[in-house]
Amino acid sequence: MSKSKPKKKISRRKFLKGTGAALAVATAAPKIEAQTPAAGVATDAVPRSMIRVTVNGTERRIEVEDRWTLVELLRDHLGLTGTKIGCDRGECGACTVLLDGKPVYSCSNLAVWADGRSVETVEGLAQNGGLDPLQQAFIDHDAPQCGFCTSGQLMSAKGLLTRNPQPSADEVRAGMTGNLCRCAGYNHYVEAVLAAAKGGSR
Amino acid sequence: MRQQNSTSVTPLKTVGHATPRIDALERVTGKATYTNDIQFPGMLYARILRSPHPHARIRRIDVSKALAVPGVKTILTHENCQVVWGAGGISGGLQYNDDIKKITRQRRYVFNNPVRFVGEPVAAVAAVNRHVAEEAVRLIQVDYEVLGFVLEPEEALKQDAVKIWPEGNLSLNTQNQAQPMTARRGDVTEGFQASDQIFEERYSTAFVHNAQMEPRSCIAHWAGDKLTLYTPTQGISNCRSDTARDLGIPPEKVQIVCQYMGGGFGNKNQNQDADLITAMLAKEAGAPVKLEFTRKDDFIGVHGRWPTVQYYKVGVTRDGLLKAIQLRGYSGMGGYRKNTGSIGGIDIYQCPNIESVIYPVYTNKTVSGNFRGPEYPQGFYGIESMMDDVAYKMKMDPVEFILKNMTRKYRDELPYTNYSLEDCIRRGAETFEWKNRWRPQPGSDPGPVKHGAGIAFMAFRSALGRSNAVIRLDAKGKYTVFVGVTDIGAGAKTTMALIAAEALGVPLANVEVVWGDTDRCPYSVGESGSRTTIQTGYAVIQAAEALKRQIAEKGLPAGENVLVGSASPNPNLEGKVRAAYGAHFVEVAVDTDLGHVRVTKYVAVHDSGRIINPLTARSQIKGGVLMGIGMALHEDLIYDRRNGQPLTAGFYGDRIMTHRDAPDIEVIFIESDDGFGPYGAKSIGESSKVPAVAAVANAIFNAIGRRMKDLPITRDKILGALA
Repeated sequence: MSKSKPKKKISRRKFLKGTGAALAVATAAPKIEAQTPAAGVATDAVPRSMIRVTVNGTERRIEVEDRWTLVELLRDHLGLTGTKIGCDRGECGACTVLLDGKPVYSCSNLAVWADGRSVETVEGLAQNGGLDPLQQAFIDHDAPQCGFCTSGQLMSAKGLLTRNPQPSADEVRAGMTGNLCRCAGYNHYVEAVLAAAKGGSR
Repeated sequence: MRQQNSTSVTPLKTVGHATPRIDALERVTGKATYTNDIQFPGMLYARILRSPHPHARIRRIDVSKALAVPGVKTILTHENCQVVWGAGGISGGLQYNDDIKKITRQRRYVFNNPVRFVGEPVAAVAAVNRHVAEEAVRLIQVDYEVLGFVLEPEEALKQDAVKIWPEGNLSLNTQNQAQPMTARRGDVTEGFQASDQIFEERYSTAFVHNAQMEPRSCIAHWAGDKLTLYTPTQGISNCRSDTARDLGIPPEKVQIVCQYMGGGFGNKNQNQDADLITAMLAKEAGAPVKLEFTRKDDFIGVHGRWPTVQYYKVGVTRDGLLKAIQLRGYSGMGGYRKNTGSIGGIDIYQCPNIESVIYPVYTNKTVSGNFRGPEYPQGFYGIESMMDDVAYKMKMDPVEFILKNMTRKYRDELPYTNYSLEDCIRRGAETFEWKNRWRPQPGSDPGPVKHGAGIAFMAFRSALGRSNAVIRLDAKGKYTVFVGVTDIGAGAKTTMALIAAEALGVPLANVEVVWGDTDRCPYSVGESGSRTTIQTGYAVIQAAEALKRQIAEKGLPAGENVLVGSASPNPNLEGKVRAAYGAHFVEVAVDTDLGHVRVTKYVAVHDSGRIINPLTARSQIKGGVLMGIGMALHEDLIYDRRNGQPLTAGFYGDRIMTHRDAPDIEVIFIESDDGFGPYGAKSIGESSKVPAVAAVANAIFNAIGRRMKDLPITRDKILGALA
């Protein structure tokens, strides 16, 4: 899983003040200041920021609460519910999106860190009415069972094929090992990614 | 894509052909709507405060600071919410029997006092957004009187153990008696006297969590006195009747909606406390409420597979024929009884003298309940490890021992509707090249990385039962199938469409399925017990026949007219027993320096009757096998013995399988049609996991020559056994 660099500096203290409850440590947490979180922040006192972010090719200006995670922004405020929350603590990969083309856990990135960057979600994969070859291969190989991890698997696979268009089966497993699937459709996910890669080279 | 089907069934037109799911497009484009994707205007968000103690009495709860937070609307605790959560109750295994729930003494409330495990709900908050709700949860002050606790079932039965319930820690049965579950056939004492050799051993299995990807969430919406619950449930019909019963409202005033759900594996059976809490919060707040569990909530607040301790005593003749099997077992149920706590497996052996005594015991761990083949993977691990050990000690090839002693009639008495267990074993042994991979001398490989092969087999219930289906035909030639299934990942929706298309003799594209909504769909048993295809699939065939009769009588509908066929069959087996069969063969490589186990080959042979959709059936088998490997090797919800705290409540800690852990699984179907069920289809979903754990454990024995008697078989245990 690639790490993303925070562009906008939100101090950990300010961040924790906003979130109230303790969050799991983000994969790309900014500089940590040793402070205990303060309690009792009312909704209207929550720090907010205006960000500019390109989502699935469309540039948007959005006012976000500084405590929002990226997945919270996508799901609750932009209506992009294809991205799922499986753990909300950087363990499962269900929330994987592409941030400037690289797969990241959107539960472990703050929305404000996406300022000035581009985000791609599962909703942006199909282009001009046609499915991405990965999506078609996922269907053909019955890769999704319950489907809850599928968006994350797709985005990780997309990121993988971008940096390595012809991966081996082991490289697929390694590239997607941060995406858990409890239905354990792993064999089919790997087959599907290899098939999509093959199709793409023709 | 290795896939072999035998051709022992008559080919059909639509059924039996690998077909992508009819809703696959929704699943790969993010359009499939799961519970938590739904939002309502003015909807509140809820969070739960859970007990930090394994056992404590609540002296006082002060919610004043929490209520003072701007945006907090409602707080529920045991003081202002006394709903009995009946699902599972203490009546274990008879969850759906309302009569039994009336007499059971040990009631489980949504909020209990005392609390009996870390993670038990203490309070619930509804607020304008999730951040405020989390904030409020932190501000609730609870004064606990901390009580002693006990984690292991055998400890809990000791005289001086802390009492989790006033009646003691042996869970009461449906007659309110503290008795173990006992089953006997023949006379084990005589059986042991007639034996030439007797073997005794103890096996234990861990608490493993369902760990489905979708954490529980629920949205409750009241319109007047009608409640609509959007909730991930494996059975909308049972969830509705359970919820209505627990809230004391008529079933027709409850609507359950579950369209897509992110897996359950038994974790989302029946109704859940989340459903009741959300409904009560929404009622109190006068607004729709969405409750979201965190991943940790889901691990410690729902349920997993019950941990067991199994003592076996087995008697055999000198030529390796079973004469007696005795099991004394202990199951850790957590603080409440949500399922039987049974330990299954003995029935797969042919043996004249059997005794099984199993104690379902309360402990201060999180509650145990349904998880893919509830009592079997852990029971099969115990009995099939035991028998594998007996085979070695009798200097027999385990495959030969199994062929000599496996079930031929159910409990040596009732005939099976068909019998292909021997075919499964012989076919698997041949494909796997058992004779080449199995080491007659366990642990004999030179060098630090040792290979070994293991086998386990199963026969798994495939009973028939009641269900319903309605099919409507309109003038445009569209057939709409109404079935009360939910699609938890097994592909029920697609299965029903395939069966309907076959039975109607129309292309699949002409069939649409309406599912997952109790206001629109008739009763279905729900996705539990591997029954949906058998029961609801059969109802779909019957509804199609009814519709065809109408077409024959009235002709095709024209204009705005429609024709409707429906069926509510409740077929029976005429005194026979119906089972799916299977045999799993696995090769492992064990690094004896590191204790690391790698599965290097896996062949799973299954007779699940006729395969409706080979594409999705294969996914089911592979998924079950991989879960079984995880249970064998690393999954464990570990508790700290000193303070009763769960230490591994999360995906990483619990170590579920990842891409890198997953070997390629070879699946072989031996198809059969016994004349029952939809075109002869039998159960699949659970049975694939059932023998997998034992097969892996037996392969490890063959590789290293040490019998691993405690799950999971982690590196430290392997190194310890080799030291």
